[in-house]
Amino acid sequence: MIRKSAFIANVRACLSLFRIKTAEGFQYRMAYLVNAAVGVFWGLIEITVYSVFYQYAERKDAGIMAGMDINQMITYVWLAQAIFAMVPMNIDGEILSKINSGDVGVELCRPLDLYFHWFSKTAATRLTPFLLRGSVVLLAAAFMPAAYRMSLPASASGFLWMLLSLLAALLLCTSYSMLICAVRLKITWGDGITYMMMLIGGILSGAYLPLQLWPEGMQRFLTLQPFAGYLDIPVRLYIGTISPEKALSSILIQILWSAVFILAGKLLMAKRLQTIVIQGGITDYESLF
Amino acid sequence: MKVYFKLLKMNLLSGLQYKGWPFMILQVLVVVVTDPLGSILMFSRFGSIGEWTAERILLIYAMAVTSFGLAETFFRGFDYFPWRMVRSGDFDRVLLRPHSTVSMVAGSYFHIHRLARVFGGICAILWCLYENGVKPGFLNAVIILWGLAGGFLAYAGVFVMTSGIAFFTIKALDWIYILTNASYQVTRCPMSHMPRALKNMFTFFLPILVTSYYPASAVCGWGEGYAKAFIALPAGLAFFLFSLMIWRIGVKHYKSTGS
Repeated sequence: MIRKSAFIANVRACLSLFRIKTAEGFQYRMAYLVNAAVGVFWGLIEITVYSVFYQYAERKDAGIMAGMDINQMITYVWLAQAIFAMVPMNIDGEILSKINSGDVGVELCRPLDLYFHWFSKTAATRLTPFLLRGSVVLLAAAFMPAAYRMSLPASASGFLWMLLSLLAALLLCTSYSMLICAVRLKITWGDGITYMMMLIGGILSGAYLPLQLWPEGMQRFLTLQPFAGYLDIPVRLYIGTISPEKALSSILIQILWSAVFILAGKLLMAKRLQTIVIQGGITDYESLF
Repeated sequence: MKVYFKLLKMNLLSGLQYKGWPFMILQVLVVVVTDPLGSILMFSRFGSIGEWTAERILLIYAMAVTSFGLAETFFRGFDYFPWRMVRSGDFDRVLLRPHSTVSMVAGSYFHIHRLARVFGGICAILWCLYENGVKPGFLNAVIILWGLAGGFLAYAGVFVMTSGIAFFTIKALDWIYILTNASYQVTRCPMSHMPRALKNMFTFFLPILVTSYYPASAVCGWGEGYAKAFIALPAGLAFFLFSLMIWRIGVKHYKSTGS
């Protein structure tokens, strides 16, 4: 049982860990700038490909039939490029090296719940790239030539709902990341499973192709699955393909899945920590060759 | 070369120590299958673009991906090089050994799952060739392999070049993604609708379109001759040699770090 004062101390510690880690991330501004440049390049290629489809394809109005015109498509691409920085596609380097080197042992000595300790750090590693890379990408997107420019939000209320939905997305990304961390605690499995888990999330997020353009038969599944909350829901609120009246239920889906992931992550981590084997000795495997 | 293959073997065996390695292969296979998923879904919704059918685009794409996979398999050491060897100063030890630095670094990392991309790519190429109605023949096989070899050299060149530049700065090396993962995304765009700047960049600087589009076009008879297809290997080789030059300059300027 955690006493109330201990609980408050825990929360405080986590908040300051979050702050420190965010500030740390801001030191790599140059790296994010280059990263953003790659994102812009990628976005330009995607828009080129989609525009070709919208102009020259056999059934060129298929996109509009699915509820997305070319301007919404372009806006989707740019927003997805920005928000994708938040999507967990790798485990936080610091945490991963702690797992690999056996420093988990040291972490366990701290009078702090390990799950929430790492949770706040992970949240920071998800947020910083989004703020840094995302802002540069969006800035570039706003000043593109007309054929590539991002449009304004569909409605003011849609925009406000999107901001709220982005917060929920951060929660979702962090909690899924933490579930993956808990899986990764079993060190002998290597990176295979965790990569798979992240990859599936990335694909179903809509970053590859807006979920609306996936086959009709899958639409119901696509809106209910957890990863639409990564970026599809916020972006759709912005471009107006989810109306503001339905925003609340979409955000509830995001929060519901976050809760599921947090619960699963916490339980799995507790189970893993009971039988954890701390690695010692030569941990620097690079020195072996 | 002997040392290179010995290094590869050691790395392979150490990789297999992790029980999850089949998952790694599975994971890369999932990447290979899902990477063009966006394109395939677009084609199924929108239909083909004039004469550009899904099979055509996929063939060019698969050519590029396979050559990237080959380079990634055999030159992966260079990809990790900036972080593993330059920043930690471990390159000192490589310099002390009486072997070629290129083969030492190239062999410093190898994992079987990298081959999954190659395997998936080759399957895709064969399927697309079949769908495009290409008759199997000696000349066609030679041209496809010729193109893949050229693409392999070009992408290997990208990896070597990154490492060469890493001797001067290891900050912000992410831009190299434009030449690696982003470059084969370019092949998703039909050649006739591709913006001129993109086309020039990936023809005359990094010859990816030369090694993927021209051989595919020659084999399937889309209007490009066999002569153009034969430029693929020399073009790839030229880029590789250019990168090797940058690497040489980099090695000369190497100053050790760390202890």
